[in-house]
Amino acid sequence: MIVGERKPLEEIKEMLKDYKKVLNVGCGGCTSICLSGGQREVMLLNDDLQNAFQGNPVSIQFDGFTIERQCNADFFSELDEMVKNYDAVLSMACGAGVQFVAERYPDRPVFPALNTIFVGADRDVGWYEENCRTCGDCILGETAGICPVTRCAKSLFNGPCGGTSKDGKCEVSKETPCAWYEIYDRLKKQGRLSNIMKVRPAREWHNQTRRVLIHEAYKQRYAK
Amino acid sequence: MSTQETKPIRTDEIRRMLKKKRAKMKRLLSHCVHCSLCAESCFLYMAHDKDPQYMPSYKVLQSLGKLYRKRGKVDRPFLEHIKGIVWRNCVLCRRCYCPIGIDIPSMITFARTICRSQGVYPRVDESVSESWL
Repeated sequence: MIVGERKPLEEIKEMLKDYKKVLNVGCGGCTSICLSGGQREVMLLNDDLQNAFQGNPVSIQFDGFTIERQCNADFFSELDEMVKNYDAVLSMACGAGVQFVAERYPDRPVFPALNTIFVGADRDVGWYEENCRTCGDCILGETAGICPVTRCAKSLFNGPCGGTSKDGKCEVSKETPCAWYEIYDRLKKQGRLSNIMKVRPAREWHNQTRRVLIHEAYKQRYAK
Repeated sequence: MSTQETKPIRTDEIRRMLKKKRAKMKRLLSHCVHCSLCAESCFLYMAHDKDPQYMPSYKVLQSLGKLYRKRGKVDRPFLEHIKGIVWRNCVLCRRCYCPIGIDIPSMITFARTICRSQGVYPRVDESVSESWL
């Protein structure tokens, strides 16, 4: 799941101050589940914005609408009809959703209400942890299901570094477990400790350019 | 309980929404020949030992189909019941296949939109028995 959190109200306020009618669009996908951009959060943010702009010389109208997913064009039909009635759109989706909305309505300014934080898992309701940096070259099979790119502060591929404390904590923070210490422990329990002796070559950090994935079965359909 | 959950259902608004898409949705609903091919493409149906309530056609007929049959004259318990069908029993993965070309996900989406318009949608902080997220 993609995890996001609402931007500070002042930042959102600053983005919207020059508009008179703003449509706040919620997303029924990931940001809804992580309690940051669903239908309820749209209502709460609109209430906060109404209060924040109270006393403004020009009143601003905030309306809300939630679609099932902002990262899939199939869910936009209702929104298409609404957007033309507004000066600006505020999106409560992740960065992917905001860009998808902005691309669909190029004549309307589209603003993000959230900061997209990470790809992670739910530890409990309202408690999310980063688990993946979407590097595009997964080595979890070799590292006992612990990602060194995400969980090592230096994203070391051939760790640990010299900063691991005796009790297995990272030098960056005593609260943070050393990823390579945990990888060692788990590999040892599984009898796969030889994995740790493999030297992995430096990564090609090809995520500097926009990545596109087309499923094998659809390659012919989308061939240029 | 939020104030929205206690507000009366605005049946006139539901009727207006149903009417707006009536031609398209009625056409889609009437074209289903109950061949059950959509069922085989639904991973939830397959994962629940082919439980018929997870068949995409069943989900549509029991949600949007009933909304049309009742002409939008529904109450909150009915919408709460539909919520279970269109959110818990369907994740809108859009993988259901219909040989006739019925756009099943668009109908589930529409049912969800109607529920949302009345403040009926899943809450993560619902009690465990009601929660499906």
